[in-house]
Amino acid sequence: MDLKLDADDLNTCVQCGLCLPHCPTFRVTGEETMSPRGRIALMRAVQDDGVPVTDEVVDAFATCVQCRGCEPACPSGVPYGHLMERTRETLADAGAMTPTWQRLALKPLAYPAMLRAGSKALSVAQRLNLVPARLGLSEEIPFSQEPLATSGDDLFLFTGCVMDAWQRDVHASGQRVLEAAGFGVTPTNDLAPCCGALQAHAGLARDTRSLAEKMMANLPAGGGETPRPIVVDSAGCGAAMKDYGHLLGTPEAEAFSARVFDIQEFVAQHMNRLPAVEPLELAVAVQDPCHLRHVQRVHDATRTVLRPFVRELIELDDDGLCCGAGGAYSVLQPELAGQIRERKVASIERAAADFVASANPGCSMHLGGVGVATVHPMQIVDRGLHGIA
Amino acid sequence: MRGQITGRLASLVKRSSKSAIEADGPDAALLADLRSALAPDRVKMDGAQRSLLGHDASVFGGGVAGPVCYPVDAAEVSAIMTIAEQHGRGIVPRGAGTGLAGGAIPLGAPVVIAVTKMNSILEVDTENRIAWVEPGVINLDLSKHLASYGFHFAPDPSSQQVCTIGGNVGNNSGGPHCLLYGVTNAHVVAMEVVLASGEIVTLGGLDAEPDGYDLRGAFVGSEGTLGITTKIAVRLTPNAPSVRTLLLAFSTVQAAANTVSAVIADGIVPAAMEVMDQRITIAVENYVNAGYPTDAAAVLLAEVEGLEGGTAIDADRIAELGRENGAVSVRVAATDEERALLWKGRKTAFGAVAQIAPDYYLHDTVVPRSKLAEVLDQIYEIADRHDVLVMNVFHAGDGNLHPLIVFDGRIEGTWDRVHAAGGEILQASLAAGGVLSGEHGIGVEKQQYMSAMFSDDDLDHQGRLRRAFDPACRANPGKVLPAGHSCADIAALRKVPSGVWG
Ligand code: SF4
Ligand code: SF4
Repeated sequence: MDLKLDADDLNTCVQCGLCLPHCPTFRVTGEETMSPRGRIALMRAVQDDGVPVTDEVVDAFATCVQCRGCEPACPSGVPYGHLMERTRETLADAGAMTPTWQRLALKPLAYPAMLRAGSKALSVAQRLNLVPARLGLSEEIPFSQEPLATSGDDLFLFTGCVMDAWQRDVHASGQRVLEAAGFGVTPTNDLAPCCGALQAHAGLARDTRSLAEKMMANLPAGGGETPRPIVVDSAGCGAAMKDYGHLLGTPEAEAFSARVFDIQEFVAQHMNRLPAVEPLELAVAVQDPCHLRHVQRVHDATRTVLRPFVRELIELDDDGLCCGAGGAYSVLQPELAGQIRERKVASIERAAADFVASANPGCSMHLGGVGVATVHPMQIVDRGLHGIA
Repeated sequence: MRGQITGRLASLVKRSSKSAIEADGPDAALLADLRSALAPDRVKMDGAQRSLLGHDASVFGGGVAGPVCYPVDAAEVSAIMTIAEQHGRGIVPRGAGTGLAGGAIPLGAPVVIAVTKMNSILEVDTENRIAWVEPGVINLDLSKHLASYGFHFAPDPSSQQVCTIGGNVGNNSGGPHCLLYGVTNAHVVAMEVVLASGEIVTLGGLDAEPDGYDLRGAFVGSEGTLGITTKIAVRLTPNAPSVRTLLLAFSTVQAAANTVSAVIADGIVPAAMEVMDQRITIAVENYVNAGYPTDAAAVLLAEVEGLEGGTAIDADRIAELGRENGAVSVRVAATDEERALLWKGRKTAFGAVAQIAPDYYLHDTVVPRSKLAEVLDQIYEIADRHDVLVMNVFHAGDGNLHPLIVFDGRIEGTWDRVHAAGGEILQASLAAGGVLSGEHGIGVEKQQYMSAMFSDDDLDHQGRLRRAFDPACRANPGKVLPAGHSCADIAALRKVPSGVWG
């Protein structure tokens, strides 16, 4: 079957295996079908050799977290993430992946009102203990919150879907930090309901493309000298938005993607605009979200931003291995996600920190599911700057 | 459009290759026995697993796995061995599948025993400087784990971030730092081994002078043909207080090779000395951005370890010898990060060449150090003559060459030229007084050249040693010894069943 993969991209893989230890599913299973090398070989087998798409083949693809830890590890530069997204898209189109219930579950993300209703329902359900434990949602989902107010038009702060509904205090911290650096902030609220990352991961790239187009129309560059930056405090969303250029393949999309910054990345470039303060008496361990470290590759910025504000920064000893959250992965593959998380939690325990900083809502929720509390780096900076809010 | 694909796919999806195999009589019984000995979900028989485990990191395809087993302890490995024997099947051990000589490629649909789930570090005994580990422990994981105790596991193959200790034992693996520390054989003191009969034995021991023959020594490097390790006692090597890393650039590969000889002749024993030619350096630099000089014909990466005063003197002297031999630049890594980045470049060299062509065929010959420059000349000449692209990256300190032929196997006729050039490179190395394999092993790759190196008598004796461990030759059948000298043609090489992908 033609998976519509670029032959040269596929052939970049020489099967050396150097990516294997950086793959969370290979780490916890030791099985070749659960490794990047194995998955690429299966893509080839299907596309080049006409091998049937058996349940096992679908399973090998479906168990991939799409953390892309294999990409920076690959010396020959295999564009794994794009290969996997395209594979899933082709298989989803053919009805072999992403069943209807999953498609329906992703729908509300694009409609803020629906999502708010949904998460309100979820929060009620959670309080009533109706949410199955396998969802791994730990923190109670707040009932409702006020939307963020615009303070200027220097930049957009992307508030997204899941994150806005569930973690609005993170945006509030981010906004205060940006304002402390002298920027007037426009929170995107309903202007940009959803980045489309989860849809792209599920092989529903068409939905992502239409969301991307909507967002590009709603978040104009403005008439200023430099186009208005779009600052994103969720690593997964930022990674997806930086990929619009590739996804849509238009110069406009390229230009839009170039305006997207992770909030740590952006603040790190403007540290001189933040006042000097006494560091907090905290030892903070940094948990790098995969889409910050392996995809955006700007995780150093997290350190730059946090360093002046805390007494000690601690590195985890697992080389940035995925925590198993992976967008919807923790719900779709709960068993593997749990095993992967165990490794991460063990590493966090060895770090013996006061706090774990993580810049992605998915990771926070997934880790929170087993009682590991995380804070967003911006919440720490905010506290350093403004004290306890 | 969508309906079309769905229609086509519907017929594809349903045709699971599983049923075809399970219906096959002998396999069904074998499978049932294996599944009752291990947990059923740790014995795989689907086409995806069997096809993927038909390969390792070498260019050799064509292997097909039988049932794939993921045991978790020695008792399970023993049970698999016994069941395989009852069913007259071979077994093939597998670690991370990073071998470059095809040693883990299953020939004749044997039972594959993947040790990747046996990956615990069982005990670290710093007093006796020993650690007991399971065979699936990843080499670099072990060294990282030992770092907090101030030790490491010395053999450091380029694939160390992924290869397993069990695989290292099987191949007697080397690595850049084996120049100073010696290869795996010097770092394994004892192991628990399951023989092809299912019997569990211990080879070697923790005493400095174990009694009797050194069967441990015979086992290390046997490439899975004598049995399979289930527990390994490795030696711990203390981390050196001071390490200095130099990067020297040269305008000819020969100048780099001459510098290596000069350093050794001067009485210095560096921890590592690695040479990369320009093509490799460019590919590597493109991946790591470590500041490798891409305009140099060759670079020499040299490292010295020891006490602060000693490494300072040695590093200065190496720089001096380099300049005397024509080094155009000498750089000393200033920080640990810089050093790590330089090594990352060297250790990912093989993968990085895929930027140039999709396939590579890596050789692994060892030549006397004094002949390095001469043999290198020949290698470039041979490659030119066969119209293939060759790159050189090698453990210069011990004369272990890794000529790498890169090519695009999809182009008609390429394979013939690659094989012809490879064969001549091996012959040239042997003619210079070298040996077939420095560290990757013989596997299926160099089998046919064994007779060029060993007499019939030698080979017969090796075959007898092998049969002393495994009379029916069921452990990794068809490997190492050429046909006619052991068991390459035994019944264990079952015809490949239908329904399995290539
Ligand atoms: S994206 Fe992550 S889970 Fe998927 S193959 Fe790569 S490393 Fe493994
Ligand atoms: S993806 Fe890259 S690192 Fe992994 S096996 Fe292929 S070439 Fe090697």
